[in-house]
Amino acid sequence: MNPLIELTGVQKVFGAGPGALHAFGPVDMKIEKGEFVSLLGPSGCGKSTLMLMIAGLLDATGGRIAIDGRTVVGPQTDIGIMFQDNTLVPWRTVRGNIELQLELRGLSTAAHRASVDELLASVHLEDFQRRYPHELSGGMQQRAAFCQALVHQPATMLLDEPLGKLDAMTREAIRTDLQALWIQRHPTVVFVTHSIEEAIQLSTHVAIITPRPGRVERIISVDLPYPRDFEVKSSPQFIGYVRQAQEIFRGYGVL
Amino acid sequence: MSIAFFAAFFLAWQYSIVWFDIPRYILTPPSVIVTKGWADIDRLLYYTWITGVEVVLGYAVAVILALPLGLAIAFSSILRRTIYPFVVCVEMVPKIAFAPLFISWLGFGLLPKVIIVFLVCFFPIVLNAILAFSSLSEELSRFSVSTGASVWRTFVKVRLPAALPQCFVGFKYAAINATVGAAIAEFIGSDQGLGFYIQIVTGNMRPDLAFAGIFFLTILGLALFGLVTLAERLLIPWHISVRHQSR
Ligand SMILES: Nc1ncnc2c1ncn2[C@@H]1O[C@H](COP(=O)(O)OP(=O)(O)OP(=O)(O)O)[C@@H](O)[C@H]1O
Ligand SMILES: [Mg+2]
Repeated sequence: MNPLIELTGVQKVFGAGPGALHAFGPVDMKIEKGEFVSLLGPSGCGKSTLMLMIAGLLDATGGRIAIDGRTVVGPQTDIGIMFQDNTLVPWRTVRGNIELQLELRGLSTAAHRASVDELLASVHLEDFQRRYPHELSGGMQQRAAFCQALVHQPATMLLDEPLGKLDAMTREAIRTDLQALWIQRHPTVVFVTHSIEEAIQLSTHVAIITPRPGRVERIISVDLPYPRDFEVKSSPQFIGYVRQAQEIFRGYGVL
Repeated sequence: MSIAFFAAFFLAWQYSIVWFDIPRYILTPPSVIVTKGWADIDRLLYYTWITGVEVVLGYAVAVILALPLGLAIAFSSILRRTIYPFVVCVEMVPKIAFAPLFISWLGFGLLPKVIIVFLVCFFPIVLNAILAFSSLSEELSRFSVSTGASVWRTFVKVRLPAALPQCFVGFKYAAINATVGAAIAEFIGSDQGLGFYIQIVTGNMRPDLAFAGIFFLTILGLALFGLVTLAERLLIPWHISVRHQSR
């Protein structure tokens, strides 16, 4: 069976000539169906660039990306993407923004009412569903964007620093929710983060990316039982994984 | 606050004429403008109506033609390379300079005034519409594409609402231009309207009536601008420019 997402020699160079910027790759990587893969790497190493290339929203300069055995040549519409900058529109309420994803896909908002309610509750935004984005804090906007990205229940998710702007406590709570969702439905997740702990807590595999031009330095397979709660996080094995990642970053001189 | 400022302005106007003993045929105090203007109110109101029709027709035609053109230029790279440079060049031409020509071609009637109002309104609307429809944020356009939505659905649900604030910049600018265009067109060749009135009474050494005419012209401009602002508040209440006003 083919891996779900397969990267072969994928790289990205922005521009051409003397001003060209080698942003990413070449990288080979396989992501199997149902895996939770984190991309962990320093700022500017090309994580967002890779996300966009997998989503078919940015053309790779070289190499091949395949999803389910088919080469990606254009935008992939059956996945859920959470962009690094949120895609909330100012003229719609929180709920309206979540429904925008459904409406653009031609899905019925009435049929999804219950699942929107559920999503809103899971990120504690029920009381703010009639508010506009400018009435929300940065972290609340990010939670709304999270719901917007996932409301159509995609089997594959690309999440670009979805928890980046959240405070430590909310972040922990949403991490738990995301993990519960993954345990329940086993979507394939590609997850960008700067937090080593977060990556190891959530992922089946953590891909450590080098500084720009980003390459996969190592893929750490995290062999710990789910759900990875507080108990697991204080276990020596967990701490061992964190150390392992820290070593690599220290080697780059970014830690 | 601003009412107090207006009051102070008119009071200063009124009394500086008395203090500095300015002759009445040069400047008239507001009190005289009101009484003399009131005496001539029928003519003033009728001419306000005439000029108002020119302004509204020219403005409406400009909106109706400029928006689709701006939209087309924003979305078609061929049009952007062909028509757009032409539009920018024509924008640099002072349209008002054509007024005498139009009047010599088309006579003293309504049509040349409507054309001139149209011209001074058309370009700000086109240029702002082009800007509006071609500056959707990269994230939002990627988001729309990733949903697989049709061009039309994306337009209705994302592009159009995102473009409205910038479109309104053009609408407001054009609204300010409109009365100026109409008045100048009437100065140049007309037998009715507020511009005509102001010119005739000034020739008759009646600055009081000229000011009354200017007052009605201002009211006309404010009314159009007010309508556009009202439409803006109704259509884009979420936008930051509107939010600041209504705080
Ligand atoms: N459109 C573009 N044109 C030119 N260079 C670009 C463009 N987009 C990204 N880059 C460059 O590519 C590199 C990788 O960018 P990318 O956004 O993928 O980094 P990242 O790993 O997501 O960083 P961060 O963690 O800060 O979000 C950066 O050095 C950036 O300057
Ligand atoms: Mg990024």
